Amino acid sequence: MAIGLLKMAATCVVRPIHHLIRLVQLAQSWRQAQYEGRAARGNTLLREWLSPEQKAQFDTIKSFDVVGCNTGKSYRIQYGVSANVVELDDAGRPTIGWCFVPTGNLVPGDVMLAQKIALEADERRALAVARQFLVPQLPSRLSTVP
Amino acid sequence: MATQIVMDQSGDTRHHFDAKDVKALSDAERRFKALTGAGFTAAVRNANGEVSLVRSFDPNAEETVFFPRLVGG
Repeated sequence: MAIGLLKMAATCVVRPIHHLIRLVQLAQSWRQAQYEGRAARGNTLLREWLSPEQKAQFDTIKSFDVVGCNTGKSYRIQYGVSANVVELDDAGRPTIGWCFVPTGNLVPGDVMLAQKIALEADERRALAVARQFLVPQLPSRLSTVP
Repeated sequence: MATQIVMDQSGDTRHHFDAKDVKALSDAERRFKALTGAGFTAAVRNANGEVSLVRSFDPNAEETVFFPRLVGG
Protein backbone atom coordinates (compact mmCIF):
# COMPACT_ATOMS: atom_id res chain seq x y z
CA MET A 1 0.00 0.00 0.00
CA ALA A 2 2.71 2.47 1.09
CA ILE A 3 4.89 1.50 -1.85
CA GLY A 4 1.96 2.01 -4.22
CA LEU A 5 1.34 5.50 -2.83
CA LEU A 6 5.00 6.36 -3.13
CA LYS A 7 5.05 5.20 -6.75
CA MET A 8 1.97 7.25 -7.54
CA ALA A 9 3.43 10.34 -5.87
CA ALA A 10 6.67 9.90 -7.75
CA THR A 11 4.80 9.62 -11.02
CA CYS A 12 2.68 12.69 -10.27
CA VAL A 13 5.73 14.80 -9.42
CA VAL A 14 8.48 13.45 -11.64
CA ARG A 15 6.55 13.25 -14.89
CA PRO A 16 5.42 16.93 -14.95
CA ILE A 17 8.96 18.03 -14.05
CA HIS A 18 10.34 15.89 -16.86
CA HIS A 19 7.85 17.46 -19.28
CA LEU A 20 8.74 20.94 -18.06
CA ILE A 21 12.46 20.32 -18.56
CA ARG A 22 11.76 19.04 -22.06
CA LEU A 23 9.71 22.15 -22.86
CA VAL A 24 12.51 24.43 -21.66
CA GLN A 25 15.02 22.49 -23.78
CA LEU A 26 12.79 22.83 -26.83
CA ALA A 27 12.39 26.57 -26.24
CA GLN A 28 16.16 26.96 -25.92
CA SER A 29 16.74 25.01 -29.15
CA TRP A 30 14.17 27.14 -30.95
CA ARG A 31 15.79 30.37 -29.72
CA GLN A 32 19.23 29.12 -30.74
CA ALA A 33 17.97 28.20 -34.22
CA GLN A 34 16.35 31.63 -34.55
CA TYR A 35 19.57 33.36 -33.56
CA GLU A 36 21.67 31.26 -35.94
CA GLY A 37 19.30 32.13 -38.79
CA ARG A 38 19.59 35.85 -38.01
CA ALA A 39 23.38 35.60 -37.68
CA ALA A 40 23.60 33.81 -41.03
CA ARG A 41 21.59 36.59 -42.68
CA GLY A 42 23.96 39.14 -41.19
CA ASN A 43 27.02 37.26 -42.42
CA THR A 44 25.53 37.01 -45.91
CA LEU A 45 24.92 40.75 -46.07
CA LEU A 46 28.39 41.48 -44.72
CA ARG A 47 30.07 39.23 -47.30
CA GLU A 48 28.11 40.93 -50.09
CA TRP A 49 29.63 44.28 -49.11
CA LEU A 50 33.22 43.21 -48.43
CA SER A 51 35.96 43.75 -51.00
CA PRO A 52 37.49 40.55 -52.40
CA GLU A 53 40.50 40.94 -50.08
CA GLN A 54 38.32 41.54 -47.04
CA LYS A 55 36.11 38.59 -47.95
CA ALA A 56 39.15 36.30 -48.18
CA GLN A 57 40.35 37.54 -44.78
CA PHE A 58 36.90 37.10 -43.23
CA ASP A 59 36.52 33.59 -44.60
CA THR A 60 39.93 32.67 -43.18
CA ILE A 61 40.12 34.38 -39.80
CA LYS A 62 36.62 35.84 -39.22
CA SER A 63 38.19 39.32 -39.22
CA PHE A 64 39.08 41.82 -41.92
CA ASP A 65 41.05 45.05 -42.26
CA VAL A 66 39.74 48.44 -43.34
CA VAL A 67 41.46 51.77 -44.01
CA GLY A 68 40.03 54.89 -42.40
CA CYS A 69 38.95 57.45 -45.02
CA ASN A 70 40.23 60.46 -43.06
CA THR A 71 43.48 59.36 -41.45
CA GLY A 72 44.55 56.47 -43.68
CA LYS A 73 45.03 54.35 -40.56
CA SER A 74 44.31 50.63 -40.66
CA TYR A 75 41.80 48.93 -38.41
CA ARG A 76 40.95 45.29 -37.90
CA ILE A 77 37.28 44.46 -37.41
CA GLN A 78 36.96 41.20 -35.52
CA TYR A 79 33.91 38.92 -35.35
CA GLY A 80 31.69 40.19 -32.59
CA VAL A 81 29.24 42.82 -31.48
CA SER A 82 31.32 45.00 -29.15
CA ALA A 83 34.93 45.92 -28.40
CA ASN A 84 35.86 44.28 -31.70
CA VAL A 85 37.68 47.07 -33.60
CA VAL A 86 41.40 47.54 -33.11
CA GLU A 87 43.70 50.09 -34.70
CA LEU A 88 46.85 48.61 -36.28
CA ASP A 89 50.31 50.08 -36.54
CA ASP A 90 52.44 49.94 -39.68
CA ALA A 91 53.57 46.42 -38.76
CA GLY A 92 49.98 45.22 -38.42
CA ARG A 93 50.12 45.05 -34.61
CA PRO A 94 47.09 46.16 -32.61
CA THR A 95 47.72 49.44 -30.81
CA ILE A 96 44.41 50.52 -29.35
CA GLY A 97 40.80 49.37 -29.39
CA TRP A 98 37.82 51.44 -30.52
CA CYS A 99 34.37 50.44 -29.34
CA PHE A 100 31.42 51.78 -31.32
CA VAL A 101 28.33 49.86 -32.38
CA PRO A 102 25.00 50.50 -34.03
CA THR A 103 22.04 50.53 -31.68
CA GLY A 104 19.38 47.86 -31.87
CA ASN A 105 20.85 44.56 -30.71
CA LEU A 106 22.10 43.54 -34.17
CA VAL A 107 23.88 40.32 -35.10
CA PRO A 108 27.69 40.29 -35.60
CA GLY A 109 27.61 40.53 -39.41
CA ASP A 110 25.42 43.64 -39.31
CA VAL A 111 27.52 45.27 -36.58
CA MET A 112 30.74 44.58 -38.51
CA LEU A 113 29.30 45.97 -41.76
CA ALA A 114 28.15 49.15 -40.02
CA GLN A 115 31.66 49.53 -38.53
CA LYS A 116 33.31 48.97 -41.92
CA ILE A 117 31.09 51.55 -43.64
CA ALA A 118 31.59 54.04 -40.82
CA LEU A 119 35.41 53.77 -40.91
CA GLU A 120 35.69 53.73 -44.71
CA ALA A 121 33.20 56.53 -45.32
CA ASP A 122 33.02 58.68 -42.18
CA GLU A 123 35.95 57.74 -39.95
CA ARG A 124 36.00 60.94 -37.90
CA ARG A 125 32.38 60.64 -36.87
CA ALA A 126 32.82 56.98 -35.94
CA LEU A 127 35.84 57.74 -33.76
CA ALA A 128 34.06 60.73 -32.22
CA VAL A 129 31.43 58.47 -30.67
CA ALA A 130 33.77 55.53 -29.99
CA ARG A 131 35.27 54.62 -26.63
CA GLN A 132 38.89 53.57 -26.54
CA PHE A 133 40.07 50.44 -24.81
CA LEU A 134 43.44 48.85 -24.27
CA VAL A 135 44.33 45.78 -26.27
CA PRO A 136 46.84 43.16 -25.19
CA GLN A 137 50.20 43.59 -26.86
CA LEU A 138 51.03 40.35 -28.64
CA PRO A 139 54.28 39.36 -30.30
CA SER A 140 54.11 40.63 -33.89
CA ARG A 141 54.17 37.13 -35.38
CA LEU A 142 50.92 36.34 -33.53
CA SER A 143 49.13 39.60 -34.14
CA THR A 144 49.35 39.81 -37.93
CA VAL A 145 47.34 37.93 -40.47
CA PRO A 146 49.18 34.80 -41.65
CA MET B 1 15.12 46.11 -59.34
CA ALA B 2 16.60 48.45 -56.76
CA THR B 3 16.88 47.40 -53.14
CA GLN B 4 16.87 49.14 -49.78
CA ILE B 5 18.37 46.96 -47.05
CA VAL B 6 17.54 47.87 -43.48
CA MET B 7 19.52 46.27 -40.67
CA ASP B 8 17.25 45.10 -37.88
CA GLN B 9 16.87 42.39 -35.27
CA SER B 10 15.90 39.83 -37.93
CA GLY B 11 19.31 40.34 -39.61
CA ASP B 12 17.96 42.66 -42.28
CA THR B 13 14.79 43.53 -44.14
CA ARG B 14 14.99 44.06 -47.90
CA HIS B 15 12.64 46.33 -49.82
CA HIS B 16 12.78 45.74 -53.56
CA PHE B 17 11.27 48.29 -55.93
CA ASP B 18 11.18 49.18 -59.59
CA ALA B 19 12.92 52.52 -59.97
CA LYS B 20 10.91 53.17 -63.15
CA ASP B 21 7.63 52.91 -61.26
CA VAL B 22 6.73 56.40 -60.03
CA LYS B 23 4.74 55.19 -57.02
CA ALA B 24 7.37 52.66 -55.99
CA LEU B 25 10.04 55.32 -56.28
CA SER B 26 7.99 57.69 -54.18
CA ASP B 27 7.53 55.00 -51.52
CA ALA B 28 11.28 54.33 -51.55
CA GLU B 29 12.03 58.02 -51.10
CA ARG B 30 9.54 58.21 -48.24
CA ARG B 31 11.20 55.18 -46.62
CA PHE B 32 14.63 56.78 -47.06
CA LYS B 33 13.50 59.98 -45.35
CA ALA B 34 11.77 58.10 -42.54
CA LEU B 35 14.83 55.97 -41.81
CA THR B 36 17.41 58.74 -41.99
CA GLY B 37 15.08 60.95 -39.95
CA ALA B 38 15.03 58.24 -37.31
CA GLY B 39 18.83 58.25 -37.11
CA PHE B 40 19.73 55.54 -39.61
CA THR B 41 22.77 56.07 -41.83
CA ALA B 42 22.39 55.28 -45.52
CA ALA B 43 25.29 53.98 -47.60
CA VAL B 44 25.88 52.85 -51.16
CA ARG B 45 28.83 51.28 -52.95
CA ASN B 46 30.16 51.93 -56.41
CA ALA B 47 31.23 49.45 -59.06
CA ASN B 48 34.68 49.15 -57.41
CA GLY B 49 33.10 48.22 -54.10
CA GLU B 50 33.98 51.52 -52.43
CA VAL B 51 31.36 52.63 -49.93
CA SER B 52 30.04 56.13 -49.40
CA LEU B 53 27.34 57.70 -47.29
CA VAL B 54 24.29 59.27 -48.91
CA ARG B 55 22.49 62.18 -47.27
CA SER B 56 19.63 62.44 -49.74
CA PHE B 57 17.62 59.92 -51.72
CA ASP B 58 19.34 58.77 -54.91
CA PRO B 59 16.79 57.35 -57.37
CA ASN B 60 19.60 55.71 -59.34
CA ALA B 61 21.10 53.76 -56.44
CA GLU B 62 20.84 50.04 -57.09
CA GLU B 63 21.40 49.06 -53.47
CA THR B 64 21.28 51.18 -50.34
CA VAL B 65 22.00 49.81 -46.89
CA PHE B 66 20.73 51.46 -43.72
CA PHE B 67 22.22 50.94 -40.28
CA PRO B 68 21.08 52.39 -36.95
CA ARG B 69 22.82 55.25 -35.15
CA LEU B 70 26.31 54.49 -33.86
CA VAL B 71 27.07 54.79 -30.18
CA GLY B 72 30.15 54.24 -28.06
CA GLY B 73 30.21 50.78 -26.55
